[in-house]
This record gives sequence, structure tokens and C-alpha cells, in this order.
Amino acid sequence: MKDLFTIALFWSTIRTATPLLLAAMGGLFSERSGVINIALEGMMLAGAFTAAAVTYAAGNPFAGLAAGMAAGLLIAAIHAVVSIRYRADQVVTGTAINILMFGMPAFLSGAFFLSSGSTPQIPREHLVPWLPIVIAFGLVPTIWYVLYKTPFGLRLRSVGENPEAADAAGVPVARMRYAGVLLSGVLAGLGGAYLSIGQSSLFTRNMTSGRGFIALAALIFGKWRPVQTMLACLLFGFTEAVSYQMQGVFKFSGEDIPVQFIQMVPYVLTIIVLAGFIGHSRPPRALGMPYQKER
Amino acid sequence: MTSKSILSLLALGLLALAGAACHNQSYAADDKSKIHVGIVFDIGGKDDRSFNAAAWAGVKCAESGKWPNGEPCGKAALNIVLRDIEPGNPTSIEPAMRAFAERGYDLIIGVGFAQAPIMEMVAKDYPNIHFAIVDGISELPNVASLIFKEHEGSYLVGMLAAETSKSGTIGFLGGMDIGLIHRFEKGYEEGAKSVNPNIRIIQNYVGVTDGAWNNPGKGKELSLAQIGKGADVIFTAAGNSGLGAFDAVEQAGKVNGRATHFVIGVDSNQNMVKPGFVLTSMVKRVDNAVYSIVEDVVNKKFQAGFHVYGLDKDGVGYSMDQFNKDLITPEMIKSAEEAKRKIIAGEIKVTDAMLK
Repeated sequence: MKDLFTIALFWSTIRTATPLLLAAMGGLFSERSGVINIALEGMMLAGAFTAAAVTYAAGNPFAGLAAGMAAGLLIAAIHAVVSIRYRADQVVTGTAINILMFGMPAFLSGAFFLSSGSTPQIPREHLVPWLPIVIAFGLVPTIWYVLYKTPFGLRLRSVGENPEAADAAGVPVARMRYAGVLLSGVLAGLGGAYLSIGQSSLFTRNMTSGRGFIALAALIFGKWRPVQTMLACLLFGFTEAVSYQMQGVFKFSGEDIPVQFIQMVPYVLTIIVLAGFIGHSRPPRALGMPYQKER
Repeated sequence: MTSKSILSLLALGLLALAGAACHNQSYAADDKSKIHVGIVFDIGGKDDRSFNAAAWAGVKCAESGKWPNGEPCGKAALNIVLRDIEPGNPTSIEPAMRAFAERGYDLIIGVGFAQAPIMEMVAKDYPNIHFAIVDGISELPNVASLIFKEHEGSYLVGMLAAETSKSGTIGFLGGMDIGLIHRFEKGYEEGAKSVNPNIRIIQNYVGVTDGAWNNPGKGKELSLAQIGKGADVIFTAAGNSGLGAFDAVEQAGKVNGRATHFVIGVDSNQNMVKPGFVLTSMVKRVDNAVYSIVEDVVNKKFQAGFHVYGLDKDGVGYSMDQFNKDLITPEMIKSAEEAKRKIIAGEIKVTDAMLK
């Protein structure tokens, strides 16, 4: 066990937690403003594909990061208009976006790279392995400050808790919700960009493999609060990283520990922690409820 | 139900249709005098630079006499009509096969072990259509099973890995944790141990669902963990996820112009993916197998049953080209060729992990 807890495990945890953290922080903005964001997965896919495609075409990862964030923003704009302006069911809209973004990269990569769902590999000197990590962890205190210490944060939280009261106090509910959803797109897009041009060196179809949903779980686990959510992402990243290190090495009375068991560990741990520590996780009160101004 | 939610459900339906439309090629132009071949890919998709890519290369060669990149493939074009489908998820495999069958295609090729049970269901309903399954087995009278002795090829690359390793530790990165991939691992292990009986092999699998083929981020993390434990050669059999291992060995860098850690590619020749870091590739000539089954149908010589491709038919092997000629010494090639001869002659028995 001693050689399990190494510096390598630490960095592996950080790298694994980074995309979750970025997406979860995005989800935080959206959900604290009262809009369910099940589309994090789709926004990450949009960011991942666009970042890889632009980095490959422009040879500049910073352009790629910016494009990834812009793609997330664009997808978030669809979600925002449909669920805020037209007050559609937020879960249905989010699901539709996820399905759309599952197919869109395959379609676009066919047009640009004569491929069906992946981009060419990007040379190593055009990758950004560190910047998104720094941004992700640097953002947590910033987001905490914005959410709890600024008028913007107060308004954002108020429209997620009680939009009628906020409206009566003169807070523009729709505008705050737009801000929340759009910010979530930018952050989830950045999280996706990290996957394709930070951690890996290309986009492959559906490469997020559920990380958007895990980020959502971390957000709920972290009670929709920035610091707790970061800790949740680190826990998810840590158990995942431990399974990377343990797999195929640690023996249990002479037998290999089955890979299925090791891959179960993060989820079992999550259930234990959820049952034991959280007890009661309360979502923003107006979450999922479209707001219509009384006439 | 409010009109808003009906509207959004409608939007959802439209989006799903838009997704499906990507695969909806025009059938109207089909020329019924030609042999029609439909191919249904695995979840990895035809651009995985590996297994599916090899199958795609085979049918493209049969269609046009050229590889997908436009270079001649050295075989004759067979005057066929070719259509392909890349299922987005496992549930769309069966409708894809049935769509080809309903249109009266002459040959339907399924790529990947997971399609075997689905193909059996479809093939029973269309006894007059020829089917071929790559990597899977079926005993129906109209299904050809194209199978490969991956363990034999893996044995040879295992030898090359053990001869290259300085640390005495090598790695194996599998995609989905299934019998077929264990076959690669077991052969690799036996080959490595034939060179160095004390060699240590770290094996990892990306996952247990079909998502395991498309997770390069996790593939890279697992490879970095293996490198951290001393592995200096990593054999991947993990589709797109394996590309993460290529990134990991590149990150480990070079000393005096020679890479310190190497990766061994799989299925297609992947030596050019990261030149200098790829020791060799365990090529599985899915392209040849697919081409010959198309050729059989065109020549009306289709035979159901098992078509087994081993070292004897060059169905598997290790790749040598300008990208890895400096990494593999003539002595290594000599010993690998010697082992190849013995395996074909039956003097070396490589364990087939799927027969256990």
C-alpha cells in the first residue's frame, strides 16, 4: 500500500478531477440561478471537439481554448433561450442538447477532416496540459467570492431560490438566469477542451464518457456550493486515480483484484459518503421551474 | 401536458431525426447489376486508426482498389456498391443490419465481437443473404466468421517488447475487459516470458462497457501509472483509448535521440502515429480478411463457417517500416521470425485465452 500513495497519484488525481471541476463549476452557476443543466455533457463535447479542431487548424492551443469556451457558450445559449425565454422543460432541453452533441462532432469532422467523429492528432507542442488545471483550481475561490460577496452573486442566488421575491425587489430574473446558463457553457466548454487538448491530443467521439453527468453528481454531492463541490470533484478524481494505480498490481491473497471491483470503488465510496456525510442536500428552491412574470 | 412541453418533446424528436439523417445516404442511385456490400462498424467508428479502420480499408480496397487515403491498395477493384453505417450506440446495430437486409444487399459485414448475437438474429430472418462477422463466431449456414489468432501475433510483439525493455517491466493496456482482449494479453505475456522468464507484466483495462474503446484520457492516465511503476514498453489493444498510451510514452521523452519508453500499436499499422515512440504494431489484417470475403461473394464462392487468420496466412503479425527500422535490431527480427516459424510448425504452442 505504501507505494500506492505517491506523488504520481496526487497529480493523477488533479488531472482526473480538472474536467469534472470545470464542468461542475459551470453547473453551479446555472443551477444556482434556477436552471437545471443536464446538458453539461453536451457542452463538454462541444468544447472538446471545437478546441481540438481549432488547435489543429490554427496550430495555436490558446485559440483552441477560446474556441472551446465559445462553443460551450453557443450550446448554452440554445439551452438558455429555450428554457428561459420559451420556458421549456429544462431536463428535456438538456437531454436534446446531449443527443445533438453526440452526433454533431461526427457530422462536422466528416466535413472538415474526412473522418467520422475524431480529429487528427495534435502535436505535443500544441497541447496545454497545465493552463486549464491552474484556471480550474484558481476559479474556485473566485467563484466563492463572486457568489457570496458580490451583488451579482446575491442576485444569482436569489433568482434560484425565490424568483418572485427577487423580481419584486427589482432583480432582472431572466437576465440573471441567462448569465448563469451562459457562464456554465463557458466553463463546461473549457472542461471539454482540457480533455481533448490538455489531457489527450485529439477528439474522439463521445470522449467525455459521462464526465458531464459525474460533474453533475459532484455538484449535488457538494450541495451546490463551490468549495464542497471542489472537494467532491477531488474525491471522485482520487478514487478514479487510485483505481488506475491499483489495477493489475495489487494482489489479494495471490489473486489479482478483478478490474470490475476496482472500477466499482469510486461509486461505492460515493454511495457511502452520500449516505453518511450528506444526510440532507437541498437544491436551490426554484431549480427547474421556469419563471413567468405576473402580468 | 402543456403546449411548452409538447413543443420541447417535438424539438427533441426533430433533433434525433437530424442525428439519424447523417447516415441516410441515397439508395436511389444503387445499380442493381452490381454486388451490394453493407458494413456495420463497431462503436469505435471507422476512424479509430485501429480495428475498425482496418475493416474500412478492406472494403474500400474492394470497392475502389484504393486505401481510404487514396493510395492504391495493390488489389483489384471489385465493381461493388458499398454502404457503411457507424452505429452511435449498441441498440442501433440491429436496425442497421436489417436496413441492409431489407434492401436486398448481397453481403452484410458486421465488425466486432459484440455484433455476433445480433447478426445471428438478423441472419436467421434472411437466409438468402450472405453475412460475415469479424471477430465473432456463428454457426449459421449463411454466416462467415472471420477470426484471427491474435495470440500468435501478440506472442511475437511480446518477444520484441521483452528484448527492448531495460527495466524488466512491461505493460499491457486493454480496452474492454473481455475474452477477446485477454487473448492479446496472454499471447503477449507468453512471448515476453519466452525471452525473459522473470519479466513483470502490468495489465490494465480501460473499462467494462463499450465506452472503454473511446476514452483516451483514461488510457493515458493508466499508461502513466504503468510508466510510474517501471514499465518501459506498453502494448495497447484499446481502440481510441490506446492513443492515450501513445501520448504517455511521448511525454516520457527521449534521451540522446532515443525514446525511453515505447508503445506497441494494434490492429492497423500505427507506427506512424508517433514516429520513434512506436516499437512496432501487432497488425491484424482485418483488411485482407474483409477483402477476400467480398471477393468470394463477387465470385460466387462464399463459404460460411470459420475463416481463421493466423501467422500462417499472414493474418496477424508485427509491422516493420521506415518509422521503426532503427528501433528493432536484425537479431530481434531473426528471433521473431524463428518463433514465427515454430508457431506455424506447431513447435511453440501459444495459449488461446478464449479457449480456457
